[in-house]
Amino acid sequence: MYGGGITFDGAGADTLASEDPVRLQAFEARIERGEKIEPTDWMPALYRRQLIRMIEQHAHSEIIGALPEGTWITRAPGFKRKLSLMAKVQDEVGHAQLLYSAAETLGKTREEMITDLISGKSKYSNIFNYPAYTWADACFISWLVDAGAIVNQLANAKGSYGPYCRALERICAEESFHLKYGHHCVIYLAAGTQQQRAMFQEALNRWWPPMMHFFGPADKISDHTRILMKWKVKMATNDAMRNQFLDMYVPKIRELGFTIPDPMLAKNPETGVWDYTEPDWEEFKRVIQGDGPCNRERLDVRRIAEARGRWVREALRSPRAVYSMPLA
Amino acid sequence: MKSDPIKSLDPRVGRLPQTDNPTKQPLDQFSTFEVFVQPAPGKPFRHEGPVHAPGLEMAYVLAKEAFTRRFTCSSLFVADTHDVHVFAPDEQALPTDDAASKAMTPSTFEIFQLTKRGKQSVQTGAIEAASPQQALALAHQQCTAMPYAFWAIDRRAIRFTASEEQDFWQTLPDKKFRDAAAYKGGEKLQRFLDASR
Repeated sequence: MYGGGITFDGAGADTLASEDPVRLQAFEARIERGEKIEPTDWMPALYRRQLIRMIEQHAHSEIIGALPEGTWITRAPGFKRKLSLMAKVQDEVGHAQLLYSAAETLGKTREEMITDLISGKSKYSNIFNYPAYTWADACFISWLVDAGAIVNQLANAKGSYGPYCRALERICAEESFHLKYGHHCVIYLAAGTQQQRAMFQEALNRWWPPMMHFFGPADKISDHTRILMKWKVKMATNDAMRNQFLDMYVPKIRELGFTIPDPMLAKNPETGVWDYTEPDWEEFKRVIQGDGPCNRERLDVRRIAEARGRWVREALRSPRAVYSMPLA
Repeated sequence: MKSDPIKSLDPRVGRLPQTDNPTKQPLDQFSTFEVFVQPAPGKPFRHEGPVHAPGLEMAYVLAKEAFTRRFTCSSLFVADTHDVHVFAPDEQALPTDDAASKAMTPSTFEIFQLTKRGKQSVQTGAIEAASPQQALALAHQQCTAMPYAFWAIDRRAIRFTASEEQDFWQTLPDKKFRDAAAYKGGEKLQRFLDASR
């Protein structure tokens, strides 16, 4: 899912031909043995480029993902929900810090990554380009968008790049409460008044199509994954992750008496795989390219925060500072 | 160029001022510091990751927020990444003193080992040495099972947790709202399901 932009502009797999075959073989053998790659190791240019792209997009998604939930902190129902949501949003921003550092060990500085985010050059999870109209939208994000992110993160934590794995282990440990908190919020809406139930059903109707987009394009239109799976950059295909999410969460949503807005959605008894209406990939592409309901707002908020914080960073900066890449 | 105000569901976003389009300059995000956490008294310190900060003292404050907000911690220290000396025995020759380190007065070095790729570097002890290179060479000499990498940090370059700061983390276990076990919805869900049947 993260790093999925290659579907639209190519993986550049041709660069492999210029790699040193002996080093490439040793690199692949190390991954084959289940060993991790550390920042000081030799790695193919395509591996480095794709990891930077993937980890960077993951980091941007944590930062931007904090925005739709963040605006609900002051309007969360009651002190306890405010406290929980504030802790959750703080975690997400903390996760961005961990991920930017992991990407930085591959040679792209944090300044370059943030510049690419606010200029619109690098992408973040498409789902955060949709608005959170009601409290129920914030609950959908906390429960189900986080659930989707955790499916992806647990898979990627078994990947081959050491610093990314270390960051993901901490992230997964911290996120265990996010999922429980989100489910708790939705249970309270489900067991509430008719109006509360209707509010969540409407949020579910709005968020289901972007949720199906969340794991990235269908495997049949995203065919650059073979080499990335061999190198354990990508640990599961987009369709496999989507299927795992449906396996885990469709029963939980239905248990609460809500209707998922897809009449085709059913587990195929023969294949054991979920059937569903083909998501609208044209819409997905359009929103990724900037034409979603909240793209401009998300980037403006981020850009204004950068501009308004600049004087603080300038006041703190030591003229003697020399940059050093983090160790691990 | 003045653009239209942001149309947002959140009125506070709509009220944000217009600003220019910043391009970040090198070191706008400062340099890096490495963070080491002791999860419980008597346990070794572990490397947790880096923070970006304008100096050692701010690095300590940011490290506390980024790495010890959630899980048990009894102590924390930070050091400038430049001051963490690394030796990977499989890939590098044994380190030898350079001109700068020959002029040093002897000191105590905290030694860390990364025993396996993908894991965290863990503190294994301290060594008295005349230079970081000598500390790494001694650590290598004393070692039986060879790790992937050794790290040595001069104690004089470390921002430790002072004894009066050790109560920073005492209230962590009370913050139940960050604990998955505090969100039990099962009973409420069951009552609802029973009633709707």
